Amino acid sequence: MEIQWFQAALWIGLALLAAVLSVRIAISIALLEIIVGVIGGNFLPLQRTEWVNFLAGFGSILLTFLAGAEVDPEVMKKKFKESMTIGVLSFFAPFLGVMAYAYYVAGWSLPEAQIAGIALSTTSVAVIYSVMIESGYNKTELGKIIIAATFITDLGTVIALGILFANYNWYMLIFIAVTAMTLFLLPKFVPWFFHKVGSRISEPETKFIFLILFGLGALAVMAKSEAVLPAYLVGMVLAPFFLANSTLSHRMRVTAFTMLTPFYFLKAGSLVQLPTIWNSAALIALFLILKVAAKFIGIWPTMEIFKFTRKENMYTTLLMSTGLTFGSISALFGYTNKIINQEQYTILLTVVILSAVVPTIIAQRWFQPDLKKEGENV
Amino acid sequence: MFKKILVANDGSDGAKKALKVAIELARKYNAELHSISVEEGVPHYAATIGEVEEYRKEANGFFRNINDEAVEEAKKSGITLHIKVKAGHEVETIVNFSKEGNFDLLVIGFMGHSKIFGRVWGSTSQNITKLSPCTVIVVK
Repeated sequence: MEIQWFQAALWIGLALLAAVLSVRIAISIALLEIIVGVIGGNFLPLQRTEWVNFLAGFGSILLTFLAGAEVDPEVMKKKFKESMTIGVLSFFAPFLGVMAYAYYVAGWSLPEAQIAGIALSTTSVAVIYSVMIESGYNKTELGKIIIAATFITDLGTVIALGILFANYNWYMLIFIAVTAMTLFLLPKFVPWFFHKVGSRISEPETKFIFLILFGLGALAVMAKSEAVLPAYLVGMVLAPFFLANSTLSHRMRVTAFTMLTPFYFLKAGSLVQLPTIWNSAALIALFLILKVAAKFIGIWPTMEIFKFTRKENMYTTLLMSTGLTFGSISALFGYTNKIINQEQYTILLTVVILSAVVPTIIAQRWFQPDLKKEGENV
Repeated sequence: MFKKILVANDGSDGAKKALKVAIELARKYNAELHSISVEEGVPHYAATIGEVEEYRKEANGFFRNINDEAVEEAKKSGITLHIKVKAGHEVETIVNFSKEGNFDLLVIGFMGHSKIFGRVWGSTSQNITKLSPCTVIVVK
């Protein structure tokens, strides 16, 4: 028993360290938890026990739900054609490009290559959002298109994760039917039910959301699909309600970021093998270049068609090349389900982290469009 | 002599001293007085928009309080203070804002860092003074 408490103290101690560092240096808690997790996994007696795995899995589901609940339908509607086109191409180009490279050149098996394609197809809406908040682009037309396109790309990622490795049998049929019914009913039921139960210290609202996520997650896993798929879709259909209800969103974020997502990100980091990073540095660099290049191939011509300036094209494409949350979820899904090994996981997660940082710095440093000109379009 | 004055306000003791001097100068020269506060800790490379939004909500609450106090203090001297809160790097944001707004005087409080940090990077006040397009007064 004392071993369990020792492990609990170790995990939560690392989570606390990441939280304190995050406040001091203004780097997101997620990225720091991954980095602290890498140190913990390589240099400390950190164990991935069953309860750690459960909390980490729960964290990834809740994180995906929260990401879905941030999809603003108004932003999506405004520039639907542009954001849909950019979002779809931003998913497919790197997915196919990276998968082809991993399969034909790097010699990975098809399922391994598919995980690589999915993990590196993502775009991080939150990484982009923080960049835009600082530059003021979140209020511009270009900024809104980029954010909406990112939601589409993320949807592509969770759908791919949910369908590529699934079994197509009765379980899948039941999963699809129940999910469709739930998604249809939730937007009407949730406001009514939450109004009835009210906001209490026992958090009936949060418990209800957990019930839905666990129930659909169980059905997804029975169909050999992935629990993050229904979580993202449930988040999306409830987004208007959650965006209008900031207190509830705040409480769910507190629950997630205090006790659940730290285990997810720390675990994701703890599985990284430091020697593999060194030994596979060339492949890591190649995958990163490939991801960015594929995003360019997919997005650049589209932006040209929509008559954006050269600088806006570069800025958008670089920002659409960022990844973090869904990239790490995809890589961890592959490792947990024994589709990829720990070396391949290390390679993919390292590329995901680098893709959060490198394109962002380049975009901000050299390709930030003139805000005044851009603002005129708002 | 000065027509448009900008004061940087982060709620610190140094910024409060700077505000007093800026109000006095605005009164003396009958100048427009603006203040800029910088949300410096926006988390980079976040996992969800929520993480960024939660930070901003806290920061906005903090800056709302200090700016309300600043507006009140300026009002006592018959000066209207125009406030602005922006996210970004402190030095870059203040310098760019003073450029964009064509200010002819920037008043800042002395913002020190640790000795080692100051030696390597230069203090915030040093960097603002070096990069500012207009005259800078550093109040100690």
